[in-house]
Amino acid sequence: MDAELIAMQLFSGVALGAILIMVALGLSIIFGMLGVVNFAHGALFMVGAYAGLWVASLTGSFWWGLLIAPIAIGAFGMLIERFLIRPLYKRSIDDPLLLTFGLGYVLVEAVRIAFGSDGIPFQTPPELAGVADLGIGFFPIYRLFVVAVVAVVLVLLWVGLEKTKFGLIVRAGAKDPQIMRVLGVDIAKVWLLVFGLGIGLTALGGVLAAPMRNVNPEMGSLVLAEAFVVTVIGGMGSLVGAVVAGLLVGVAISMTALFAPEMATIVMFALMALVLLVKPQGLFGKPVRG
Amino acid sequence: MSAPLLAVEDIGRRFGGFVALEGVTAAFEPNKVTAIIGPNGAGKSTFFNVLSGVLAPSSGSIRFKGRDITGTPQHRFVHLGIARSFQITNIFPELSVHENVRVAAQAFRSRYDLWRDRSAMTELDERADAALAAVGLAGRRNETAKFLAHGQQRALEIAIALVADPELLLLDEPTAGMGPEETREMVGLLERLAADRTILLVEHKMKMILGLSDRILVLHHGRLIADGSPQHIQTDPEVRRVYLGQNDGYA
Amino acid sequence: MTASTSSVAGVMTGPAGHRGWRARLAAWRVPLSILALCLLPWVLPSQALAVNVLIYGLVAVGYNLLFGYTGLLSFGHAAFFGTGAYVTGIAIGAFGLPWYAAVALGIAGGGLLALVIGLLSIRTRGIYFSMVTLALSQLVYYTALQASSWTGGENGLRGFTVARINLFGWTIDFLDPLKKYYVLMVFAAVALWLVSRILNSPFGAVIEAVRENETRARACGYDVERTKLVSFTLSGLICALAGTLSALHLAIVPLDILHYHTSGMIVMMTLLGGAGSFFGPFVGALAFLLMEDVVSLWTSHWQIVVGTVFILFVLFLPKGIWGTALAWRAGR
Repeated sequence: MDAELIAMQLFSGVALGAILIMVALGLSIIFGMLGVVNFAHGALFMVGAYAGLWVASLTGSFWWGLLIAPIAIGAFGMLIERFLIRPLYKRSIDDPLLLTFGLGYVLVEAVRIAFGSDGIPFQTPPELAGVADLGIGFFPIYRLFVVAVVAVVLVLLWVGLEKTKFGLIVRAGAKDPQIMRVLGVDIAKVWLLVFGLGIGLTALGGVLAAPMRNVNPEMGSLVLAEAFVVTVIGGMGSLVGAVVAGLLVGVAISMTALFAPEMATIVMFALMALVLLVKPQGLFGKPVRG
Repeated sequence: MSAPLLAVEDIGRRFGGFVALEGVTAAFEPNKVTAIIGPNGAGKSTFFNVLSGVLAPSSGSIRFKGRDITGTPQHRFVHLGIARSFQITNIFPELSVHENVRVAAQAFRSRYDLWRDRSAMTELDERADAALAAVGLAGRRNETAKFLAHGQQRALEIAIALVADPELLLLDEPTAGMGPEETREMVGLLERLAADRTILLVEHKMKMILGLSDRILVLHHGRLIADGSPQHIQTDPEVRRVYLGQNDGYA
Repeated sequence: MTASTSSVAGVMTGPAGHRGWRARLAAWRVPLSILALCLLPWVLPSQALAVNVLIYGLVAVGYNLLFGYTGLLSFGHAAFFGTGAYVTGIAIGAFGLPWYAAVALGIAGGGLLALVIGLLSIRTRGIYFSMVTLALSQLVYYTALQASSWTGGENGLRGFTVARINLFGWTIDFLDPLKKYYVLMVFAAVALWLVSRILNSPFGAVIEAVRENETRARACGYDVERTKLVSFTLSGLICALAGTLSALHLAIVPLDILHYHTSGMIVMMTLLGGAGSFFGPFVGALAFLLMEDVVSLWTSHWQIVVGTVFILFVLFLPKGIWGTALAWRAGR
């Protein structure tokens, strides 16, 4: 097994992990702030991919798709929060979850109706095609691009959370929504924006993933499970955990694919089972009970 | 002086870097009413949670009837003889008032029986009805718990704790949210209960506490700053300093 | 005792115990259910539909024990349903075991898996439970996909048709749809009776207490984690039984039986019918399968209808069809 192959597979894992981070972060942000586990998250990833594809085919440019799709789907997410989920906050905590689950069904079928059940190949944009020689090996440029975009988004998110007033509200509100209300913060608007942000992130993941996978209505199904695995491993509500676990899972899948391809998907579930056994709250999560 | 029912030694509790309790030592004799008071954030709820097993202490020990019970899982506490009520009403909303208390009574008879028809366990009905009568809710036996008025729900809280026939009752702000009339009724109930049980309560209503308690503990920033009779506490300079500016009827 | 209670209302059968007519209904729920199941093949448009209602109704009943009565939203119950089916199929097909041994093994296998998954998932905080159960059941799915020499992989498990059943000296032609239905119904009836006993038992009160208020249940002296685990395992056993029935009925086990889409379908059926009620799950299974059958006549995109209906139920009819009917009748 030569070092170059391993390095490339490792890097492949990082690229895969980067996509997972986008999805898992979106899930964690929504959960951390609203207490809602979004079971439509995988479907929205898929919708993001299709939106990117559609915009790209309309405008002839991948870049427009990359820019517009996450924003548009994020806005769609806000509509979902406002009209479908908000009425359910007063009820049992399971109700928003159940609703998003039904929504996932509807979205997948709607895409099937609009675009057909067969997959649509998404060409890597010519500017990003090909490989780059980085000394240790030849790395696909597109995957380098994905990692770079995700890194930039992470930095922007960090800056937004740590340095802006909105970020302060999000961090504080995640701890205690009551205080936010008392301080006069319009919590409804914050939740709306946070939900939109979470959906935007997963849609961005979808657009980024589109050239790497076959774009089809089912592509969100595995992603949902992957997002759950990453979140459980990283720790629910922990953003750092989502990043670390995303990378961990991406690399684990990629490296396993090298030695035993058929076990690649199982490995991530096995990792999760191990974490549950040893540290049920996840690597960065809070302990279950004092 | 009789042997203490409950003795806590050097109890400490941290949450990460935050010290909620530190060095709390006290012994509680049977059949007395002790009130625990202190400004908000003093650590009263944490102390109660430690005494009822909701939280394990980070340091120190708890002895009940001479036995070390530190670290016992929460669900064992009521079987030891320690029952509690909560500050925020914690009842079973969709069950009837009677069923609320009955299921509490059932915990001492059967927890995993999958086969027997539980309606045949009539002794549970009797115990539940007795507890309801003690708190004055017998007339509302078949009402759904979530439809009760606030004061009645607080009484139901007490009935649930009472049906366990505990030696030690921990009551966390039993009169929370109650007006003067309901508070008077609750005080009357507590006086009746105090006749044959040991009661620890957390409360804010000073006049009520002064009239009801045999002893008062004062917590501040997680430390015990005063411990004595109501007269002693009223004249303690440290306590006066801590409560200066508090307007809960302490005059 | 208020005037509305009768002597039968001495039967405390859960939240409805103090209402006379509900207590009477509850006391007769097992015979009434069995009667309804007996009539099903004659009342429904097709016998295939009747068997499906029987099997999926039973899955929903098993699931309801955990979701409706204990209050735990699992998204992984397909794992127990599917494992029951696969173990039965493998026992007959690969090991040549008699059908009743295969059924017993199927139930045991599903129950054991439920114990393991329960142990791993119950330790997590509340709402994560749904995610963890979904992910753990996907582990089972991908394992079955990989172990294709045992399970047939993507093509599913085949080759274990049961043609004749020998029951206490009788030989029953299992290929006759009607006879097959009634044989399967016997199992379902026994399961329903056991579920009813559990709900009436002291344990039945404990799981409802856990559902209503975990903190309070713990303070009352109940080991909430252990209670949840027992309920989870019982639920898994019943779903596994339904799985064995499915395997006997279809003579194949499709891989998708293990996918979380199946778990989701079970959740939808239970909610559509009415979680936390005894008849609800069967009503939900019937409603779901009827909807699927009817809508499929017009369009292959029936899922969008089902999804939309489900969303509407969550928003406006969270008690489900049967649950809403009961509440309406009680005058709330």
